[in-house]
Amino acid sequence: MSDSTTSERSSRSYTRRQIVKGALGTGAVLGLSPLAAACGGGSSSSGSSGGAGGGSITIGSFSDPAMVPFRDVFLKKFTAETGIKVNYHETNYDAWFQNSKTDGLNKTGAYDIYVMDDNWVPEYAASGIVQSLDKLGLKVNPDILAKGLDQGYWPPKSGPRLQAFANDTPELFSLVIIDDVEILYYNKDYFPTAPVTWDDILNVAKTKSHPPSLYGWSPRGVAGNPIVQTYLPLLNSYGGNFANDDWSPGFAGPEGVGALERLFEFIPYMPSGIAAFDTSQETAVMLQGHCTAMTEYTGTAHVVDDPTQSKVVGKIDFAATPKQVKSGPAIGTFICGIASGAPNTAGAVKFLEWFTSSKVQKEFAGGGSAAVTGSALRDATLSAKYRWLPAIADAVDNSIPKPRTPDEPKMEDLLGTELNQALVQAISQKSGYTQIAQSHLTAAANQITAYLKQQGTYGF
Amino acid sequence: MPRVALYSSIAVILAISIFPFWWMVDTSFKQPVDIFGGVTFYPHHPTTSNYHRLFNTYHFASYLENSLIIVAVAVSVSLAIGTLAAYSLTRFNLRFGLNQSALVIALLVRMIPGILLVIPLYITLAKWGLLDTRLGLILIYSGLNTAFVIWMMQSFLAEIPRDIEEAAMVDGDSRLSALVRIVLPLAAPGLAATAIFSVIVTYNDFLIALSLTSTTNAQTVPVGVSTLIGKIQIEYGPMAAAGVIGALPIVIFALVVQRHFVRGLTLGAVK
Amino acid sequence: MAETAAPRKSREGWRGRFLASPYLLLIPAAIALAGVSIYPLFYGVRASVTHYLYGRDFGFNGLTNYRNVWHDEFFRQAMVTTAKYVVCAVTIETLLGLGLALLVSREIRFGGPIRVGLILPMTIAPVVVGVMWRLLYDSGVGVTDPLFQLFGASPPDVLAHDTSAFISVVLVDVWEWTPLIFLILLAGLQSLPQEPLEAARVDGAGRVRLFLDHTLPMLRPVLFVAITLRVIDAIGTFDQIYVLTKGGPGTATRLISIYAYNTAFLFTQYGQAAAMLIALLAMVMLLMIVAVRMMRKSLR
Repeated sequence: MSDSTTSERSSRSYTRRQIVKGALGTGAVLGLSPLAAACGGGSSSSGSSGGAGGGSITIGSFSDPAMVPFRDVFLKKFTAETGIKVNYHETNYDAWFQNSKTDGLNKTGAYDIYVMDDNWVPEYAASGIVQSLDKLGLKVNPDILAKGLDQGYWPPKSGPRLQAFANDTPELFSLVIIDDVEILYYNKDYFPTAPVTWDDILNVAKTKSHPPSLYGWSPRGVAGNPIVQTYLPLLNSYGGNFANDDWSPGFAGPEGVGALERLFEFIPYMPSGIAAFDTSQETAVMLQGHCTAMTEYTGTAHVVDDPTQSKVVGKIDFAATPKQVKSGPAIGTFICGIASGAPNTAGAVKFLEWFTSSKVQKEFAGGGSAAVTGSALRDATLSAKYRWLPAIADAVDNSIPKPRTPDEPKMEDLLGTELNQALVQAISQKSGYTQIAQSHLTAAANQITAYLKQQGTYGF
Repeated sequence: MPRVALYSSIAVILAISIFPFWWMVDTSFKQPVDIFGGVTFYPHHPTTSNYHRLFNTYHFASYLENSLIIVAVAVSVSLAIGTLAAYSLTRFNLRFGLNQSALVIALLVRMIPGILLVIPLYITLAKWGLLDTRLGLILIYSGLNTAFVIWMMQSFLAEIPRDIEEAAMVDGDSRLSALVRIVLPLAAPGLAATAIFSVIVTYNDFLIALSLTSTTNAQTVPVGVSTLIGKIQIEYGPMAAAGVIGALPIVIFALVVQRHFVRGLTLGAVK
Repeated sequence: MAETAAPRKSREGWRGRFLASPYLLLIPAAIALAGVSIYPLFYGVRASVTHYLYGRDFGFNGLTNYRNVWHDEFFRQAMVTTAKYVVCAVTIETLLGLGLALLVSREIRFGGPIRVGLILPMTIAPVVVGVMWRLLYDSGVGVTDPLFQLFGASPPDVLAHDTSAFISVVLVDVWEWTPLIFLILLAGLQSLPQEPLEAARVDGAGRVRLFLDHTLPMLRPVLFVAITLRVIDAIGTFDQIYVLTKGGPGTATRLISIYAYNTAFLFTQYGQAAAMLIALLAMVMLLMIVAVRMMRKSLR
């Protein structure tokens, strides 16, 4: 295996060999050895390598409303059907991000399965925190929607790659369990037919909305990750890219500027405080019946018919995110990896195969959750009950993945800060949208390029 | 200041102090749809579902129990050793310029950002098998809080003139008994203030508890509260309920301790 | 302040003398403090001169992290924002806290409940404080819009504009932490020896003179403690802001704690985060040493 050196750090090259074999990985980074998770934890995890018929597995996850059915219903079902006990640990998102990484880097084996957020996959796969599922012999259910499944491959099947992995064959390192993808939520009282393009949304906004009691669009505007989620369906639909195949930013050109200008066009029809809106605020506007449409991830889909949370029960319908030249929702799955030090890999593989099997996924969708298989999402009976399921399937098929790199959160932070500042400026200036969009997008593009260069792992 | 003006200004300030607290209580009894339904000062459709969720889905009782035990022990320990140290720093002229440098060191410890503390403390506790245990957290909080106690108590103790202890020691008291019998009661307001604030800071610590615990064996109230923040959403209803329940122990403690703020009770005893 | 430890006739003999030895009294505290600070500091400094890439340790890299941090415009912006925040918040809190303490320190009816009522804000977990104020400031849901409309102004969307977001966030800090200064100063006022004040009053000093020439100077050590503690904590403010604005809009409320946290835990740049924090620590420590020296001098 040859070392590839970057021009900047000749003595400190980041090669795949170093990452995967973890030669320097004294793991001293966090150097943490959560023996304690075994020592003090309520559920023991080590030494439980049973065969397929018994033993136990330990799953760790971050807490999220979308994980509730998984935790409360399906773990018990698995034990009932296979006899394998499941220990489930849940903690806050940030803490879990750290704890799982530590456990994996040091191979301490406190967990068999990590439930991960989608954008952890590049880092976890590249650093050997999770094992190759292909090598473990996991049989992938062909019923799983392809684009959701693809999120678990490393290096990614499409899109730009880290230089060290440029020529590797993609292997499956994590398996999707919930298809968290962006879809369009719209209030059918205002749309006689499902809207397809941005113009459709804009027309309804112009003709039917009357702020402040009824808005035409509700986005997340907080700087960083939230506003980027608002921007991506726009950017993708205009044919732009977060990152091109050579890692150059794909949003500072005419597509990106056009997409941002389109968002600015909605300003008269959006609540005035959107620069501070996150999911709760954005969704609240919709659920209170004050908005005609919005794009959001599928996690909030099921609350639209819950009378304790929604005033528009039965009125919200779902479709693919609007088109310009195409529809391009962002996708961010809940995805499972098997820990590098997992004590019971056989049990873990069995669990993953079980949970993603067509039968179990149908039951999962039967509770309204965003299942991952085509048969569950497109099932006629289930779709009648939960109208968002087929929309999820379409969205997944059209989805555009975000750039696969551990630096993706930083990229989102840089772009998101500029987007937010552009939005604030556009709202107060009310004109000059093109210039505002162009200057902020270009600034973000330059910052991202500079940062990637500083990291030294991209070949420039 | 005329009585009326005094009491009305206090009333206004109290109102400002309490209003958000009231808002929190109000929110904790609202359905999610009502929380975002506009400004209301009382829940139109009150519900206890948030509290149910808190205790059933989110095992809040365990978090409470852990917090209460950990805080009680850690604060007691740090109050004791910190006050002793503060006493030494204010009454004696120590060598090596310790009087001044000790204060700076205590301050330094207090200043270390949580993020810097988290990982090395994790490593240390892991080595000793104390991760995810109450004892581990107690040890760490005792240490961290001692710095605060020293810093606070040295100023309160400095306010108390030495003559009183001197008098007692002339009468045959040892220094230690003079400290306990005479000085501490005089320093009661300071001790009470230090105690309240120590309890608050230790109880509400988030980053350290989050990083050093992983199950309900030792997870504290702030960690529990953080599980209400999902990937992209916050559960406002249960969050409000958690705020209410979480604040109760501290408020009760404050109610109990606050009488020591009144000077009359303590000085009188000495005279 | 000079006084040597030479107890006279001791009822308890050598034991009493020994136990009260000044250095012995310091030992438990010294152990406790050393235990939680030495390794972390050492570790932090080491991390700040290490090259971390995607969470893995790639060895010593000298001052590169510090250099990167110094050239990072977001770091500089975060430091400035934090400085502004701390100065504004602590100044207001000190003035308000002092006023409140003076107001309440006399004998008043319902003194107990009033005092507890006044410290309620700091009993709530900072995360929850952030969440509640998020609701209060929210355009559709909270009280700020109706409040402004009451006075005939147009509803402001306080969190959506740079300046108003900054002010809003400072206000939350003031609401939450004035009680701390209040508490400390109240305790300080209650502990003041009364004879000098009585004497001055007898000598005919008016209220204001009494306060400025006698009370305030005696309060100085306690005031210093309160302000110092508040400054240190304010620099590390994290929970409320993270929930209220996440550092936005733009970078208007992005304090150093938020940026360092994201750098360490979201962007996995441990080395740079450590460099940021060590640099911050060094700066603050310098400030504090100067401040302590000044205070000591003024007391002599």
